[in-house]
Amino acid sequence: MSFIPDFVRGSRSGLREAVDHRARRARDFVDETEPEALAVVTIVSLSLIAALVGFLLVSALTVVPISAFLVAVTYGWIRHQEVTARILTLTTTVSTLLILGLIIVFIFIESVPVIRYESATVFGVTVPGLRMFVETRWDAVSDPVRFSMVPMIHGTVMVTLIATAVAAPLGVSAALFLSEIAPPSVREIVKPGVEILAGIPSIVYGFIGFTILSPWASSQFRLTGQGTYLFVGVVVGLMALPTVVSVAEDALSSVPESIKSGSLAVGTTDWQTMTSITLPAAFSGVSAAVLLGVGRAIGETMAATVMLKGVPRLTDPLYNAFYGQETLTSIIARNYGDADGLQMDALFVAGVILFVTVLFISIGSQYVEWRMKRQFGGEV
Amino acid sequence: MATFGVGSRLGYVDTNPDRSAGLVAAVAAGIPWAVICGGAASELLGFGTVLAIVAGLLTGCLVSAATAFSREDIGSTVPLGALSIVTGLVFLTSVLGPEWVWSLGWEQPASLTAEFVIPIGTLLNAMFAGWAASKAYGGFGARGRHVGAYVLVYLNALSIVAFLFVLVAFTVVRGVPGLLNGAEFGLGVGPATTIELAGFGFTFVWPFSVPFVMNGVALLNDFQGVLPAIVGTIWLVVGAVLFAVPLGIGAAIFLTEYAEQGPFTQAVEIATNGLWSTPSIVFGLFGFAFLIPRFGNSKSLLAGMLTLGFMLLPLVLITSREAMISVPDEYRDASAALGVSKWQTIRSVVLPAALPGVVTGVILGVGRIAGETAPILLTMAGGTFVPGSQTADVIGGFGFVASPPFVTNPELLQATSALPYQLFALITAGVGLGDNVANPDEFRWATALVLLVVVLSFYAVGIATRYYFRRKLSYE
Repeated sequence: MSFIPDFVRGSRSGLREAVDHRARRARDFVDETEPEALAVVTIVSLSLIAALVGFLLVSALTVVPISAFLVAVTYGWIRHQEVTARILTLTTTVSTLLILGLIIVFIFIESVPVIRYESATVFGVTVPGLRMFVETRWDAVSDPVRFSMVPMIHGTVMVTLIATAVAAPLGVSAALFLSEIAPPSVREIVKPGVEILAGIPSIVYGFIGFTILSPWASSQFRLTGQGTYLFVGVVVGLMALPTVVSVAEDALSSVPESIKSGSLAVGTTDWQTMTSITLPAAFSGVSAAVLLGVGRAIGETMAATVMLKGVPRLTDPLYNAFYGQETLTSIIARNYGDADGLQMDALFVAGVILFVTVLFISIGSQYVEWRMKRQFGGEV
Repeated sequence: MATFGVGSRLGYVDTNPDRSAGLVAAVAAGIPWAVICGGAASELLGFGTVLAIVAGLLTGCLVSAATAFSREDIGSTVPLGALSIVTGLVFLTSVLGPEWVWSLGWEQPASLTAEFVIPIGTLLNAMFAGWAASKAYGGFGARGRHVGAYVLVYLNALSIVAFLFVLVAFTVVRGVPGLLNGAEFGLGVGPATTIELAGFGFTFVWPFSVPFVMNGVALLNDFQGVLPAIVGTIWLVVGAVLFAVPLGIGAAIFLTEYAEQGPFTQAVEIATNGLWSTPSIVFGLFGFAFLIPRFGNSKSLLAGMLTLGFMLLPLVLITSREAMISVPDEYRDASAALGVSKWQTIRSVVLPAALPGVVTGVILGVGRIAGETAPILLTMAGGTFVPGSQTADVIGGFGFVASPPFVTNPELLQATSALPYQLFALITAGVGLGDNVANPDEFRWATALVLLVVVLSFYAVGIATRYYFRRKLSYE
């Protein structure tokens, strides 16, 4: 029982130490810096904050603090380059964090009205937004107007599963090829090839899928209408492939050479070394690669938009991958134009779901990679 | 192949097999057999679905067990060889003829047709047979598995490169007719360009004329083109780079040179990686909610630039940070030993050393955002066909006014088209294009080709830069 208070006290004193440390450093900074430079720093920070506030409030006067900022920075650059450079780089770092924060705030704010509209009551408790996940009806026009996310989540899951089934084995095997098997000359051809594959715009994939694959699929499988999750999944898988390859290759080549040589010295074949030494050692890195590939597949928009039917409903039966209805990404791209009011907000809900899912995947894969780095002892 | 396996078992061929073919081979042999027998049970013998699944599973397990428990030379060749023979017989004897259709009987109808099943079946068979044959070639055992796996891995790498090649070649073949529609080569056929230098007007005439990339769309044009979209894409990229590169490099400098490695840098790192993997459509939504109300409440070039800049930022940050970390600490120490300040060290030692990595990262990042459609769909999109008169002229558009915000640029605040968006608009516009363009299909493919050329040239430049710097570094 005494563990918890100890822990709390410990973290509290740790926090206080950190705060003290910061305060001391700030005091040192103030003491060491010339008063004039300090004034410049103050003006720069104040004008930046004012500019940000002005921009958020949509004020035309935003230009005033911005010009104050520019003047202060120019003066500081000429007179106190050292301090100004430091403050500028700090500003850029903070603004990176700020952008992520703004994204979170704005897409959440926009999605609030529809979450409120789609409240459902369970056991007498009203849960906002619950109806979006228990019903399956999306209809923005005729009564009852409903914005269920279930069909789109189903679509995204289908596409992602198929895409992962394509990208994971092919990607990991290509990464093995690049990092372990290929002779240098072949590597020099295949590696840029994979990079260029990452560069082909998604709309080009979508266009080829739309003009070639979709009509072919609908005649092959005797489908009514065009658009199948199957082929969208395959195309999206090919698009996620380069991500998987490059991250997995990094992981595989970070396995220390000494481990591999040790295995080879015992008399194993290269392939045995790969399956029983290299792959298990790099397992967490490789799974991070697959996770990142999954994240890419979830977020892929344009190919899905042009290749799917655009009718939000569940396929029947649920595992019927031959029909492609709508995904979370494609419903945004398809409906943003004529949507307003609640429907637009519902699109933001789709955005929130995407953002949160992919953020978790990203954090998860970073954790896995971090663990792998620790496993090999510090710097790799 | 199966004969070879049996021969090896009976001692006619000299190999060194293991006791068992192993789990992988067992599963690999079991699955196709399960599918075939399950399919046969439900189709040919008329069993129900459940019974067919049971039959399939049973056969699959039997084959797996047979593979796993026999000696490796038998186990890895006979089941797969027999598989090839059976499939071949099925196709040849027209049990599964060209007319064969298996309706899945779902609410949304779908059927497996022979045109699909036969090529896929043949392909899979060839792969299995090739795998088993190469194992046999290696003489089974560890060596055999090594050869078998290498064949598959090589095949995979080869098919990825082949896929890339086919994709690009296909787009080129389909796009070139539309691109060269009405193109002329030779002296004096192109449009005239006048360059003014210190009062002297110097006019020269391009030696070629390619209307598709030099024209907009107009009623009286002989040949329609996508010039406004190309110019729009270029301005987008310029704007995004101007926004993201200073921010990204500045943040990278702070994180590697000034900040102590601790919770703060970790938080920034997690945030950048999160931004990097955020779906592009979410950036679009953000731009729609955040930027558009602040820039005159309409879709605009500026909003598109900034949205793409937000997307480019994490890429620039990550690559420049990697480049700066890889600058050896000796460089910094040597510079510091000369008594110069930290910022001077950064400016004259760290940045030049990290420049190759930064430049490559930026170029590859630009290649990625130049092809992005989803963000500009929500923040910038213009029309499907854009008249040549709407080609954005950003530099000429600046003006000054007396009231805040004092600087205006109507060009920046207007919707402009860009290549990826134009392609999307052409796809969704469907068949209604006929009035404007003689051959809409050709027009679309040509747009796709121009987009591909623009994006891939960024990549080519990026990769070439990397090779240039690498070679330079390794020779020094």
